[in-house]
This record gives sequence, structure tokens and C-alpha cells, in this order.
Amino acid sequence: MNLNIDSIKDQTYDAIVIGSGITGGWASKELTEKGLRVLMLEKGHQLEHVKDYEYAMKDPWQTKYNGRLTMAQKESHPKLARDYPYNEMTETYWMKDTDSLYKEDKRFDWYRPNIVGGKSIMWGRQSYRLSDIDFGANLKDGIAIDWPIRYKDVAPWYSYVEKFVGISGEKLNLPQLPDSEFLPPMEMYCVEKEVRKRIEKNFPGRVMTIGRVANLSKAGEAQLGVGRAPCQYRNKCSLGCPYGAYFSTQSCTLPPAAKTGRLTLRPDSVVTEILYDENKKRATGVRIMDAVTLQPKEYYAKIVFVCGSALGSTAVLLNSKSNRFPNGFGNDSGELGHNLMDHHFRTGASGIWEGDLDKYYIGRRANGIYVPRYRNIGTDKRDYLRGFGYQGGGSRTGWQRNIAEMSFGADYKDELTKPGPWTMGLGGFGETLPYHENRMYLDKNEKDKWGMPLVVFDAELKENEKKMRVDMMNDAKEMLEASGLKNVKSYDNGSYLGMAIHEMGTARMGRDPKTSVLNANNQVHGVKNVFVTDGAFMVSASCVNPSLTYMAMTARAADFAVKEMKRQNI
Amino acid sequence: MKRREALQQAALMMGGILSAPTLAGAMGRITNMGPSIDVTAEQEALLAEVADVIIPTTSTPGAKAAGAEKFIVRVMRDCYPKADQEQFYAGLAKLDASSKTKFGKDFIGLDTAQKNEMVKQTMTDDKPFFMRMKELTTTGYFTSEIGATKALEYLPVPGQFNGCMPLKPGQKTWAL
Repeated sequence: MNLNIDSIKDQTYDAIVIGSGITGGWASKELTEKGLRVLMLEKGHQLEHVKDYEYAMKDPWQTKYNGRLTMAQKESHPKLARDYPYNEMTETYWMKDTDSLYKEDKRFDWYRPNIVGGKSIMWGRQSYRLSDIDFGANLKDGIAIDWPIRYKDVAPWYSYVEKFVGISGEKLNLPQLPDSEFLPPMEMYCVEKEVRKRIEKNFPGRVMTIGRVANLSKAGEAQLGVGRAPCQYRNKCSLGCPYGAYFSTQSCTLPPAAKTGRLTLRPDSVVTEILYDENKKRATGVRIMDAVTLQPKEYYAKIVFVCGSALGSTAVLLNSKSNRFPNGFGNDSGELGHNLMDHHFRTGASGIWEGDLDKYYIGRRANGIYVPRYRNIGTDKRDYLRGFGYQGGGSRTGWQRNIAEMSFGADYKDELTKPGPWTMGLGGFGETLPYHENRMYLDKNEKDKWGMPLVVFDAELKENEKKMRVDMMNDAKEMLEASGLKNVKSYDNGSYLGMAIHEMGTARMGRDPKTSVLNANNQVHGVKNVFVTDGAFMVSASCVNPSLTYMAMTARAADFAVKEMKRQNI
Repeated sequence: MKRREALQQAALMMGGILSAPTLAGAMGRITNMGPSIDVTAEQEALLAEVADVIIPTTSTPGAKAAGAEKFIVRVMRDCYPKADQEQFYAGLAKLDASSKTKFGKDFIGLDTAQKNEMVKQTMTDDKPFFMRMKELTTTGYFTSEIGATKALEYLPVPGQFNGCMPLKPGQKTWAL
């Protein structure tokens, strides 16, 4: 990995991409394919496709604790252990809390991957387009700033990435949820088919569809060409897929980038700063800390793509200070680190379905159902802004049921070896508004072991989100009861920012450099050769899972950047 | 064990074929270093007997044949605080002592009906012990090779999905 070469020439590339996750992978693929020599820097360790997916093919009896965390893991990961993504099988995929130090003025759950591929390995793969209802929302509501783009600007780029990624789903022609370029939709369980009919009959304007997911229900030429196979319905995606059946950097964007011969991937590289030339008024490269040797090193390039996750990228930008940018790179507006958003969730309802006991299923579908947003659309008007969608699904209970019952013995065992009743649940994913005061900033004194100042979070859900949550819980119960489910129970388990791992908005785009960090092409205002294309650019959150939009915007920005280079504007 | 020795040992165990990152990952995994109580062979044997009452051998092997007690010992040792471990093993000791009081024999020496009666009595005598024992036995059993492949139907790579098909007569629950 060029570790022994010190001359500036050999530390110089056409482009540097910070991060190897969903957007870093796309940036590297697009830029290398357009002829640029790219250095991709990843703070985490190497994770080779297939070979390093240690638990992917293991049987349950080959784990020690069936996924449970040990006391030692809970003690060494007090923050990560708060929720499910960190477990026995994914231990090495996430950063240790002892390395990933951060502070909380208010609670924030920060999930930081520690691998090549970033969160593209563990992501939920739900993939939805934003609509013009989303892009026009801030303008309509008169809050924050207007998006500098509209749906028509992104639509061709959605199509472009979808054809390569492979998104399974069903066409609906809904204004609030534009269709993607779909692979065949996955099937529904019997209970889901019936609930869908009843929701659509009892609640005009509401729709239920199968989840739109970046798993290959069928592998086309584009996917087979990079060595991907169709989904095997094992539902072990987050461990890494040996079949390459869902989108990850390793399965999808790294192979074509590597094939060009123009990609250098350097893991264990913590980018601490973007270097700025005061005379040329442009970035010259980046400074990294080698995570293993703890030696700093510099790399140089004509353009820099910042794709280190919304919060990781923002930390690097805030830490990149110069005479020109004393408050952080490109931070003339003072908005860098502000407008921190995530989705709020963990509220909904579930119930028992008494029918279809003579029906069963085969395969483990790594996907659920989706109820697109219906609140505050058309004539619907609530006492809060924006809306939410539901994710959820049906299932037939298995051996885990009745663990809490007072029973044991041959009858208990016999009962569990037969399928139990069907259940169905709906969980809301709500939009969070962009509040200027919801922010992250860098601690003035404390640094982590790589010399990066610690990130401090000062952000919370507010009244609009709290009002929305009431609907998210009650609507779920109402729809399930109206669909004939029994013993329907609603819940609100509380949601903190960060938990949905859809963090975004901390370097938003906009038309005016006085109120935004990036322009409509993800280009830093005032520094033409730096682009930020991860979730940091988001101006409002929508309520749909955001990764597909990041992919489309990254491909769009890469196209713009290379055209500008050819025009000698960069 | 020093980290270097541990790495060497792991490399030997794995035949030295793993890549460095995988090896580092494997060694980065934390094993329990916290306080834990020592479990004797007798306690483990007793756990196996109790587990076998909760999930007995029927037309398929039971919890003891599946080695569920190994899972129980491991999870209690590594995943619970010491106070919970002490409470759990006190519950186990109490079950054994109650067997002696009631039937004049250790739990292991009881016949099947007597064992069932004692476990039933534990449901009211020490409900927390019963619930934890039941939960760990059930999980240990159905995630064991015997439990998953013999008592349930195990299909690691389905290769297809059909969400609504007729239930076959005698269809067992999917293990996964």
C-alpha cells in the first residue's frame, strides 16, 4: 500500500476519497472509471470480500453466546451496547468505545464502523427515492433553508445507481414515493397480503407494499458482471454476504473501481485534516494518522471527495482550520456541524393473526413491508409538520415463543417444534426537522488516540417529533386492529438521535454561501475542489431511508467534478 | 497470556491460513475477564439433569444429549454479573437440597416423575431461577446441532422465498 514511498510524487493522486462506505465506494468507482487515479482512505481495518466475513457461514452452534454480549463487552462498549447492531457476531465490525471517544451534552448514539466498506456492510438496505414533496418541504413550511435542487435534478442519477445496485421492489406511481428501477419485488407472507388489502380498503390514501431493498431478487448482467449472485434468503446480511447478494462496497463498487487499475485503497488511515493552500485557494490534499503505526502522513490530489459519513466528515471539516477558514473548512456560514438530523423510530404496534394456520413459508426474507407516508399529504393536515412511513412485517412464530410461560417438559418441547401463530407489526420511521441548535462540535481540550478532537453532541428531538410519535403509535394500532389482528399492543420505546443510524445534515447544501456549506453540486462554497457527498449534505431529512439518495448524489457530484476538471474550472 | 503468545496460539489453531485482519479481529474479541464464580463438574452435571427435565428426550434427543448445560454455564459465566451468577447457582443448590428434603435423594438420583415434581415446585419456590434456567435451556437446546437439526428443521441456505404456501403435514418449526 505504498507505505514505504515518501516522495511527494508518489503521495500524489488525481483524487482522494475519504471513506470507503456507501458514498466513498461510489465516488471511487465513478472517479476511477472516468480515468482518475484515486486514493481511497479508510480509517477502519481491511475486510476482504467473502474471506473475512467470519460469521457469515457459521451455524448457530458455532457461536458462543447465540449473539449475546458478554459482561466484558458491555463494560468496554457502554455506548455501543445500548442497541442491537453491536453483538457477538459483529464485534470486529464496529469501533471499540475506548477508541471511539465522544461526548454527549445530550444523549447521542453514534455507531462508527471500523472496517473497509463502512456501514455498507451492516446497513439495513432499505432503499427509497426522495420526492418533490421532500425537496420542496422546507420552502413550503418556511423553515431552515430551501433545497437547491429538485427531484428532476436527481432522478436520472437515482436511475443510474439503481440499475447497477439492484433494488427489489414494486411500482406504485405515488407522488410521495417515486418508483425506482426495480428488480422483481419480494413476496409477501399470507398475513401481509391480507393486511395490505384491509389497510387499503379501510384507509383510502394509505398503501402497503413490500420493502424496497438493495438485495438481488434476481441478478442481472450488471450484477453478475461484478461477481454478484442472487439473494439466498439466509437473512444474515449484516455479517457480510458471501454471495454478494446485497449492495456493499465490497460486493458492488470496489470490484469495478479495482478493475480500472487506478484505485489505491489504504485502510487504517484516519484522516485528521484537509490541507488548504491560502494562495491557490484550494485544497491540496489531506493529513492522515496511520491507525496502526500512529505516524502522520500527507497525501495530495487535485480533488478531494469527503465521504466519511455525515458526522465523521463534519469532524474532519471542523478540524481543518486555516487563516481563510478559522472556524472549520468551508465554514463561512457558521452552519458546519449544525442542523444535525436523524430519523426517530421505535414506536408502533403489533398483534396476533389468528388465520392461516394451514400456511407456512420457506426462506428467510431479509426485508419487510413498507407503508409510505400519508400524513400531511394532499388534504391531510396534522398538528405537526412532515410525516412518517412504516416498516414492519408478518412472521410465523417459532421456538422462541412461550419462553416466558410457566411450562416445561415433553409437551412444551413438542409445542415448540411446531409452528406457532402468525404475528404482524408496524414500526414508524419519522422525519426530524432541521434545527440550527441541534449540533455537533469539537471539544477544545480532549483528543482521541489519533489526535482528533473529540466530537460533542448537543441535539435532541423536539415538540414536532413528539407530536408525530403519537400518530406513529396510534395509527399503527388502529390499522392493525382494523385489519383483524388480535391482542394488538402499541409501544413507544423512546428514540434518541443517532439510534436510527441515519445521521445527516451537518454540512448542508444551499444556494447561499451565507447559510449553507455546500452548493447544489455538493461542492464546498469557496473551495471548488472539495466535495462532500455523504449524509452531511442533507437539507431536510424526509422520512425515507437515505442511503440511496447519497449514492445518487455522489455519482452526480463525481460526474460534475470530472466535467469541471476537463473544463479546467477545477 | 500475553497478546503475542495468544496470537501465535490462534495462528496455530487456525492453521495459519487466516489473513492478518481476520486474525487481528479474532484476537480483538473480548473474552470474559470479569469476576465469575467457578462451576464444579457436579454443578454442571446437575444443570444437565434439570435441563433434561425442561426439554426431555422424546422422539428426538433432549437437552442433555444436546449439551445444553455447556451453553448455560458459558452464558452465565460470561454474560451475567457475578451477583446474578451467585443467585442462579444458589437456586440450583436449593433445588438439590429440596429434593433431599422431599425424597431423601439428590436431584440426580430421582426418578422422572420425582424430577418433574421438583422442577414444578421450583416454579413457585424460586421463579427467577426457573425462568432463567428455562430460557437458557431452550435457547441452548434449539441452537445446538441436535436441537436445530433433529427437533427442528434446519435449512442454512434456503435459496428461495415463498411467504404463503400450504403447511405440510408434520412440518417442524424452522430452526432459523
